[in-house]
Amino acid sequence: MMVSKELLSQNQLFATLNGRIKNALVEKAILAEYPARLDLFQQGGAPSPLYILLSGRVKLYRQSKDKCQILALPITGDCLGAESLPTGAPGPYSATTLTPIKAIVLMPDDLQELLDDHPDFQEIFLKLITDRLKQFVTLVHDLAFRDVTSRLAMVLLTRAETEGLPHHEGIIFDRLLSQQEYADLVGTAREVIYRTFKRFEDSGVIRADRLTIIIRDHDALHAIAFHESH
Amino acid sequence: MTADRFALQADDLREIPAFHKLPDEQIHSLASVMVRRQYTPGQIIFLEGDHAGSLWFVFQGRVKIIKQSLNGRIQGLCLMDRGKCFGSCPLFDMEKNPATAQALDQVTLFILPEDALQQLTERDPQLVRALMSIYSQRLEHLSRVSEVLGSWTVADRINDCLLTYANRSKQQTTVELTHEKLAALSGTVREVVTRHLRLLETEGIVRNESGRIIILKPAGLTPPCSCEDHS
Repeated sequence: MMVSKELLSQNQLFATLNGRIKNALVEKAILAEYPARLDLFQQGGAPSPLYILLSGRVKLYRQSKDKCQILALPITGDCLGAESLPTGAPGPYSATTLTPIKAIVLMPDDLQELLDDHPDFQEIFLKLITDRLKQFVTLVHDLAFRDVTSRLAMVLLTRAETEGLPHHEGIIFDRLLSQQEYADLVGTAREVIYRTFKRFEDSGVIRADRLTIIIRDHDALHAIAFHESH
Repeated sequence: MTADRFALQADDLREIPAFHKLPDEQIHSLASVMVRRQYTPGQIIFLEGDHAGSLWFVFQGRVKIIKQSLNGRIQGLCLMDRGKCFGSCPLFDMEKNPATAQALDQVTLFILPEDALQQLTERDPQLVRALMSIYSQRLEHLSRVSEVLGSWTVADRINDCLLTYANRSKQQTTVELTHEKLAALSGTVREVVTRHLRLLETEGIVRNESGRIIILKPAGLTPPCSCEDHS
């Protein structure tokens, strides 16, 4: 399916591009839809396409044998993939859809052509890479210095701030991930996630069911999230 | 720290992999704006949270990049040796350095100041391309560090650090890091590193010597991730 310039302009990063680059982009980009639980690309594979997420959710992760670390959960408007294109190195992470998604997709050869022909587009692409870099630096900090309780609180707090909707008890958002995936995101075992969720619920900080999570005491969750372990 | 603004030669810059493909003209214009600085072992090059004003290239020695928690715990992110580049990219909203850089040995750095970086990237797409490669490699490294911290055991992390920072020669493979520095790089404390190295020694995988570790059987240190090449 074709991509329109208007659709491209809705993305903050691409809105400022000049008309010439936008024309080149809409010529090459395709609009695609993918079902839930589909592997978009694999860690260690050739440079992937660039995906500009229009709707739905994706997890970015690294896996080795039976261990998995979720690195990021992009939201609408975020870009993912293609970061290894400048070096041609194996892709640094895998991406799997969590829900059905809609995305603008730019294949690696087309992206390379855009980078070769349009120096202005190089700066946009460099910004994509440095944004992801900042995200990973924060993740490293959290994994190194925050304990599991604080990291889970930080994940819930961030999700409440970026995706939450007002609810009479507090802020509500989709549960989205399984308990194992919360464990993979926080860097711990599933049992620890079960116990930590239960502790948060028993103390009235959150209420969670199979589909949703409600943040009932934002200040308490904030205090837990910003505690750095000794 | 000493600065010698005029002593930077174009030939020196060719030693930096990110500049290998740049034509002579660009190399000379870079050499005219870059600054050479020297640091002594242990000296701080910049602190986490400082204004990110420049790009730094290692010409000689090793620089460790670390993050520090509010209560003083240190996590090493990587060691930068000859040819590597570090520092944030002030052009792309990285206004503050996300980590601290500290000289591990006697270090000589080439520095590309912020104003020169701004001017050069505006008129030189090849330099932007070089930056893309640098940050793309760093992204790969950080995604790996995240995985190691989040899903590996402490023993896996120490083993991985030993392989990552090993100096390989025909005679032997050595790691010239103290237990304290190895602990910072693998996200644990010195006592745990010392205990683990003793265990590896009893299994004949390493030999501990003063100030260095000799790796006798690299295969005994293989981390759980099979897609990384430590050869």
